[in-house]
Amino acid sequence: MCLAIPGKLIEIASDSNGVRMGKANFGGIVKQVCLEYTPEVQNGDYVLVHVGFALSKVNEEEAARTYKLLEEMKQLGELDTPDVDPWSTGKAAEST
Amino acid sequence: MKFLDEYRDEALATKIVDEICRITTRPWVLMEVCGGQTHSIVKYGIDRLLPDTIELVHGPGCPVCVTSLEMIDKAHAIAQRPDVIFCSFGDMLRVPGSEDDLLILKSRGADVRVVYSPIDCLKIARANPDKKVVFFAIGFETTAPANAMSVFQARKQGIKNFSILVSHVLVPPSIASILQSPLNRVQGFLGPGHVCTVMGYHEYEPIADRFKVPIVITGFEPIDILEGVLMTVRQLESGTHTVENQYPRVVQRDGNRVAQQLVNDVFEVCDRRVRADRHSGRRFNDRAPARIRNARGGKPISASGPTRRQPGGATIGQRCVRSVRSQMARRRIHSEKRL
Repeated sequence: MCLAIPGKLIEIASDSNGVRMGKANFGGIVKQVCLEYTPEVQNGDYVLVHVGFALSKVNEEEAARTYKLLEEMKQLGELDTPDVDPWSTGKAAEST
Repeated sequence: MKFLDEYRDEALATKIVDEICRITTRPWVLMEVCGGQTHSIVKYGIDRLLPDTIELVHGPGCPVCVTSLEMIDKAHAIAQRPDVIFCSFGDMLRVPGSEDDLLILKSRGADVRVVYSPIDCLKIARANPDKKVVFFAIGFETTAPANAMSVFQARKQGIKNFSILVSHVLVPPSIASILQSPLNRVQGFLGPGHVCTVMGYHEYEPIADRFKVPIVITGFEPIDILEGVLMTVRQLESGTHTVENQYPRVVQRDGNRVAQQLVNDVFEVCDRRVRADRHSGRRFNDRAPARIRNARGGKPISASGPTRRQPGGATIGQRCVRSVRSQMARRRIHSEKRL
């Protein structure tokens, strides 16, 4: 029920009743989305959609920032892993 | 898909689990509030990735589960009327009432239709002016804006044959109810990301403060949930109890003000006693502004028919206790099997 997924807005237009609607692409599946609650969104933005309503614009800077922090954690973890790493051996072999 | 695939990265998940293991010094009991989070946890096996010291208790955030038997019976009574087209999200079709479920009623000739969005009901209402179109408006705060908009648009477009059966539930009183139970074991919460997309998370700050529990507003992908667990455990280990936001890519502290405004105009907070606690639901707002009033269309539809009390009359707090108990029972069975 609380399922909401991000989709990319590919079209914005008002319907015959003046309701602000749009089309969002969800990995190839295109659905009609009501944009009345997200007046700020533009074509090309990602929106979080629940039961046909865009509830929020996906903040790409926040997403990138959070993911960068997490990725750093992953890389730190990799630096912590010493000993035998078959991948580094392979890369070393390739580079020589 | 962008904003989904990168939050399912297995290597990153392993690193977060390693970090959770590294900082955990004692057992902790966490509750994920939302049914969607529970779905991800089970689907991706996140509970099995976590160390034994972290116990996840599944929370009350499934609107289908918390809808009362009385309300389901009322829906079924309305759906059986020959002058009604009864519309519902697919989730509710197999949920049993005292006698039947909506699918059985449909097989017996009731006009029951599944809709993707409540706004779709307006099209059905326009196409069937001789019928009363009723939508079963269940859901937490995430779904309330969609239902409120369907009412607002019905009013605006002069659609008289559209009604909704309101059965909304609120999350913060449910969390407070769990924490007030003398048998509560939950020490930290993964807060409901999509509810907070609408409502913001300031409502949770007094709860975290009063009950001294960390609440981390959390998303729904595996990386989101693991990071939510990590942030909650960090707080528990350091003895802090604040509201944090793991899901800032869609959640802001104040939520979506435009959506809140219409929800508050159309609905008002009410007691919804059966599977929740007092002041935990929403019903139509009788003091709604003129742009909303009478949006129910036509006369109220009476729901005569069998209604029974919820077996056990469980509150959410009790439900939580039950789920904790059932987990303990399952663990006992496991350990007995091992022996």
